[in-house]
Order: sequence, then C-alpha cells, then structure tokens
Amino acid sequence: MTDQSDSHQPHSGNNQTRRRFLTAATSAVGLGGVAGVAVPFLGSWSPSEKAKAAGAPVRADISKLEPGQMIVIEWRGKPVYVLRRTPDQVAGLAKLNDELKDPQSEGSAQPAYIAGEGRALNEEFLVLVGLCTHLGCAPKFRPEVGAADMGGDDWLGGFFCPCHGSKFDLAGRVYKGVPASDNLEIPPYSFESDNVVVIGVDAEVV
Amino acid sequence: MEKALTGLVTWIDARLPVTRAWNTHMGEYYAPKNFNLWYFFGVFSLLVLVNQLLTGIWLTMNYTPSAEEAFASVEYIMRDVDYGWLLRYMHSTGASAFFIVVYLHMMRALMYGSYKKPRELIWIFGMLIFVVLMAEAFVGYVLPWGQMSYWGAQVIISLFGAIPVVGEDIVTWIRGDYLLSGITLNRFFALHVVALPIVLLALVVLHILALHEVGSNNPDGVEIKKNKGPDGVPLDGIKFHPYYSVHDVQGIAVFLFFFCGVIFFAPEMSGYFLEFANFEEANNLKTPDHIAPVWYFTPFYSVLRAVPDKFWGFVFFAVSVVIPFALPWLDRNPVRSWRYRGLLNRVMLLVFVASFIILGVLGVKSPTPERTVLAQICTIYYFLFFLAMPWWSRLDRTKPEPERVTMDGGMGFWKSVGTLVIVGALAALPLKVVGAESAYNCGTMPCDVFEADDTDKPSLQRGAALYANYCMGCHSLQYSRHNRVARDLGIPEDLYKANLVFDPEIKLGSLMSNSMDKGEAKTWFGAAPPDLTLISRARQPEWLYTYLRAFYQDDLRPYGVNNRVYPNVGMPHVLMELQGLSACFDASGVTATKVESCASMEMVSAGAMSPQQFDGAMYDLVNFLAYTAEPYKADRIRIGTYVLLFLVVFFIFAWLLNREYWKDVH
Repeated sequence: MTDQSDSHQPHSGNNQTRRRFLTAATSAVGLGGVAGVAVPFLGSWSPSEKAKAAGAPVRADISKLEPGQMIVIEWRGKPVYVLRRTPDQVAGLAKLNDELKDPQSEGSAQPAYIAGEGRALNEEFLVLVGLCTHLGCAPKFRPEVGAADMGGDDWLGGFFCPCHGSKFDLAGRVYKGVPASDNLEIPPYSFESDNVVVIGVDAEVV
Repeated sequence: MEKALTGLVTWIDARLPVTRAWNTHMGEYYAPKNFNLWYFFGVFSLLVLVNQLLTGIWLTMNYTPSAEEAFASVEYIMRDVDYGWLLRYMHSTGASAFFIVVYLHMMRALMYGSYKKPRELIWIFGMLIFVVLMAEAFVGYVLPWGQMSYWGAQVIISLFGAIPVVGEDIVTWIRGDYLLSGITLNRFFALHVVALPIVLLALVVLHILALHEVGSNNPDGVEIKKNKGPDGVPLDGIKFHPYYSVHDVQGIAVFLFFFCGVIFFAPEMSGYFLEFANFEEANNLKTPDHIAPVWYFTPFYSVLRAVPDKFWGFVFFAVSVVIPFALPWLDRNPVRSWRYRGLLNRVMLLVFVASFIILGVLGVKSPTPERTVLAQICTIYYFLFFLAMPWWSRLDRTKPEPERVTMDGGMGFWKSVGTLVIVGALAALPLKVVGAESAYNCGTMPCDVFEADDTDKPSLQRGAALYANYCMGCHSLQYSRHNRVARDLGIPEDLYKANLVFDPEIKLGSLMSNSMDKGEAKTWFGAAPPDLTLISRARQPEWLYTYLRAFYQDDLRPYGVNNRVYPNVGMPHVLMELQGLSACFDASGVTATKVESCASMEMVSAGAMSPQQFDGAMYDLVNFLAYTAEPYKADRIRIGTYVLLFLVVFFIFAWLLNREYWKDVH
C-alpha cells in the first residue's frame, strides 16, 4: 500500500478484499495439494500386483470333459463350475420356466453377452460361480433326474445348496419357494479355442 | 445458517472449551513479532511428525514383522503395492528430516537461550522428545531386516552388555533370544508403531502446553510480557493466528520443496538416508565390510568409539546424550540471547557445533588412529562445553539488552553466511588432516565408470535375455514379477514367454524365483547364490560392472578362476564362453598367485565375443539389474517433477498472502 493512511488502517476495504482473495486462492491451491497427497494413501488400497497375479484369468482345458461331467476351477479364490451339458439337459431347461423366480435372468448377475434360458456362450458348456446367492455356500451338483430327496419326478437335475436348501436348475436358475432370490452368478469368461475356456476374460461381443 | 453455526459453537463451548482452546493456542496466543528463520523448525518438526504417523500407519498395512517375511514385505511394498515406494520413501526420508529439523531447533535454543528460566520445562520435554525419537528411530531401523538393520541393532543392543554384572542378562532379555532374531524384531515392531509414538505424542503436547504457558522466547531474548499495553496484550506480541500461521505456511512450502526433492530425486541420499548394505537381507553369519549407524546417531556413536574401553565407552556415550538435560542449570549467564553475550560465548558455541559435526562425520567412516585422536579431542570438547559452562558462561562479558525486541537485530545476511563458512571450515579442516581413504572401492582395484540408463529399452531387453540365459539358473530375482519386467521393457507377453521363460508352468504374474535348492547350492559353490533383484542397490552398479569383467585364471580355486573385485568368490566364470579367459600377471611379469599382486591381464583363450562386445553385453546386463533394483524409478522422477512445480506455485501464493498480512506488523 502506498497510501499512508492504509498502513495505519489495515482493515480498510481495499486491503480486506485482497486479503480475502489471497486467503481463498492460497487455500484452494493448498487443498489441491492435500488432494494430491491423498492420492498415494487412497491408491495404495487398490489390489496390489500380488493380488492381481492371484486374481489373474484362469485357463481350463475342457477337451477331456465328458457330457454330463462337471469340473471345479478356482478363480479369485472362488469355485467356478464348468459343466458339459447333454442335449437332454439343455432341452429340459425351457420346461422349467414356470417353476423359476427369474427364468430369463433379468435380475441376476451375468455378463452382457450371456442371455436366454441356457445362460451360456455355448449351450453345451455352463460356466458358473459356485457360490449360492443366498449366503455364499457352495451348492452341490445333483444331476440325477428324479432324485427322491430333490422332489422326485419333477427334478431334472441341477444344484442344491446344503446350507439353506436353495435349488437351482442346470443353468443355475433359482427355483421358487427357496431362500435364494437370484440365479447363480456367471463370471466373465471366453473361449480361447474350442478346448480352452478362460475364466476372467470377457468374450468379445459379436 | 450462520445463526445455526453460532448456536452449535455455543452449545459445544458449554460442554467442551473448543473456542477457549483455539484462543489460548492460536487466535489469542501472542508471539514475539521478531521471529527469524530459526523459528520455522518447530513447525517443520510437527509437520514431519504428522508425515511419519500417516505414512507409518499405511506401511503397517502391508509390512510383516517376522524374520522370514520382513525383508520381502518391504520389497512387496516398494514394488507391488500401488504408490508403496512413495509411502516408504516419505517415511524413510521423514526419519532423517526429523533429525535435521530437531537438531536445528535445538541449535536455535542454544543461540537464543530458550532453555533458560522460565522455560526449563520446555527444554526438558524437548530433550525427552529427542531421546524418545532416537529410540523410535533405532527400533524403526531394525524393521526392514536388512544387513544394516541387523548389525546396527546387534552393536547397539550389545552396548548394554557393558553394564557390570547384569549386562549380558539384560542383552538377552532385550533380545528375548540368544541371538538377535525374529522375536526381537517383533517386539521392536510393537515399540515402534504403538508404544513409542504414544509417548512421543504425549511429550509433544506437554512441550507445546509448557511453551504456551510461559510464552515464546525470541532472537533478542527479551521477555515481551514485561511490556504490556493497557489491554494486557504484550506490545511486541502479535497473534499467532493469522500472522504466524500464514508465515509458517510459506516456510512449509520451502521445506516441502527440499523434502520432496529428496523423496523423488535422491531417496537414498548417497547411502546416508538409506544405507546401501541394507538392501541385502539380514544374515546373522556375515557382517558387512563397513558398518555405521545412520547419520543422525553418528556424533554419539563417535563418542562411544573414541573411548578405548567398553564400559567407559558406554558411560560416555550415555552421558553425552543426557548431559544437555542439565543445560538450564549449567548456564549461569543472566543474558539469554547470544546477540547480547560476548565473544567467549560465540566462540564456545561455534566450536561446539563444529566439533559435533566432526564427530558426526567421523561416525560414518571407519576408524583410523588419526581419526580416533580427532574424535577424542572433539569428545573432550563436547564434555568441556557442558561441564565447564558454569564457569565460562559467567566469565563472558555481556552487552546491555534492549528494553523492547528489535526488528533489525542479528548479524544480517553476509555475517550469517560468514559464520556458516567459519563453522564449515572449523569442521572441514581437521577432517581433511585426518582424511585419506586408502581402500579401493572395487576390491583390489578402482571401479570402472558405469552410468545406468533406464530409457534405453533395447539395452534393457538384451540385458534381460542375458540374465535369463546365464544367471537365472542360479540367481533368482524373487522380488520382481515377470509381467512387470515384460511391461516395463516393452516386450510383448507371448514373446517374453517364448524367449525369457523356459518353464511353461510359470505364470507371468508370478515372482521370478528359481527352483535351485539353497542347501545343495551351498555344497556346490560354498555359498548359496544370492538373489540379485537388489544387488545393484546393495553393491552399486559400477561395482557389478567391474566385477563381471574381472575374472581371471587361477588354478588354485575350485572352479579354476578368481576375481579381482571379489577375491575368492564362490561363483564360477559362467560367462567364459562369451568373454574367454584372461590370466593375471604381477608387476614383474610372473603369473600372479595372489589377487592383490595382480598388475596386468592377458587373454589366454578367446571367447565368442570381442572384448568390446563383451563390455557392451555386461553394460546391458548391469543396466538390467539396475532396473530390477528400482523398477519404479521412472515414475518417481516423473511424479517428482510435477510435485516440485506445484510447490513453487503454492509458495508464490503463500508468500503473497504472508506479505499481505504482515503489512499490519511492519
């Protein structure tokens, strides 16, 4: 301030405006700095390279899988079921629609490239996350048609959760009248070749 | 809105004295208006304390305190955790920065007599903070479980063995084992992250409460409370907030500029902040060639070494740390600030600073007879300074102190620089006299020049290929991951897998371990081949470059070769098919029988490469190892550049803001 009176009256209007502006500007730049400092602290909580390596896509050879046979693959610590369905099993899916909560899987977790009753890229191979959507137990594979303890003649094969009795069909769709509300989750997957399925890599949408 | 806020404040104030606390410590805390640069170091140490607490908490999220896992978990933080390297460098640089600002903060107290009545308790609390900080830094340095962690702790813990009768029992009790082990590491971890920080925080609170009770001293040492206006406010006092808060913000910007400069551009600080040997995992059977504590302990460590007796060494060491506690009662001069004390005080203090620096420098060097004599002289002076103070402080002639504080006191810019030069010369000249480092830095020969270049991708790729073909069979790179090497070196994953990984079972995300059995390797080579991920940080690249080219024929050795850089090394000359084999002759032209007598080399059988080609290949190999030792180096420098630019901008705003407010004061 060149004006002599100002130096004796530091709180005069002019001075005050500049002071407020500089306080706001310095605070704003300082807050930017604080945000910058927060980046490493927040960023370090993301999955590390070790976690990413453990959660990397998993390849499975399905050439030796017989029709009607299922294998379990571990992906990101979860069981992933790969089931080779017989033509009869695929054909049976459409008959069940009335007994299911969400036959078209509209409210269930599955990639965008999965649709329909079969819930598969290739009708023959079902790929599922083997964890019940109720409370996370691993459902049992029960392929026997007409199994007495599963409801007799109506049972066309499927999955049964031993924890709370939820039932799913051979596309992982949940039956009515059981605790689970959603169909079993379908993980992202794709076929690297006819014989190799890759869990964790999305199929290219055609 | 404003009414609701006022209401809320009133409601809280009736239950918790928030406004009163704010006024006591900030808004209506009156500080002398003549603070100079020395008064920044208190707030800097608070800032570093916050930095240490935050980064420390974050480091514990991924650190594993066990002898088996600790070293690997630190490398996991440095490589695999996002920004982990930054958090760790912030913490390791913060440790050294803490001591720099605390030493300067203490120097300020010595110059201006800030420890004198009525501020004795502030000084006592401050000294307690210093001692706890040393303990905190010591146990913290053990946690990475490198060679320096291990052997430094071994030496310091063994000190307690000097206590008569019960010494050895105390040492065993501190370790909780018959050697320094994972058990010790675990308890040090608990002390470092829980117990000592709580004590430190409590002491900092007491330090500040005591300060705000009696008020701050100032460069003139004049009590501002003696001259109060009609409103009871000291005439020379200004409100801490806003005047000193805006003042400190610009200082913080400058401090952060240097602090971040080290973090991003020199985190090892040439081996003083992060010692090179600490990049090698702790080994209880092998002491590093040269062991020295981190720089901030070295003045006291020199005192220990200067005394030629174990018990008395321990006593002098311990007393040298605690003797400053007595300062308020040793100083008998009625005048506080050295501005108004005589020449004797100035000379005594400056020589003290110089001798403290000399002790510090000697502490990082290996002892020679001349150096020991110098350390003894400085030790004697150190104790003389304190113990004779009751006499020399009274002898000193003083000048009259002013009634009020002065804004133009002090020696001014040029005299300050001059004083610094004098202190520097006082410290440097004696060190020069006893100097002379004789040993070669590469075994029996000087190191060749090596300049790593992490932007030279073709060189790194060739180095990686050489490593996979000639080294990986015996030496793992177990802290590094295949996919990161492929990504950083610009090698497509399928090419990498086909040319650099020979085992189809290996996943690219996995660590680069190898399948050699450590026990069998030991019987084959006499020592298990070490992991080489960090070898370029532990040994330095120029050493590696010279070593790899220094093999020569020696029929007395199990594999028929010896090495001039690493005499009697267990490693065979695996690159012989590339380099060929040289023989070594002594000065008279006879085949050398000892490594030390090797004077000239001559090729006896040629390899697949010419000497120039082989040097180029070794450059690539060492360049690759320099990369694996710090794969995030490029990130570090890129981010650091932005951070420093930001701090310049922030400083400009903070400086303008400070100038605006301080118009009221001038």
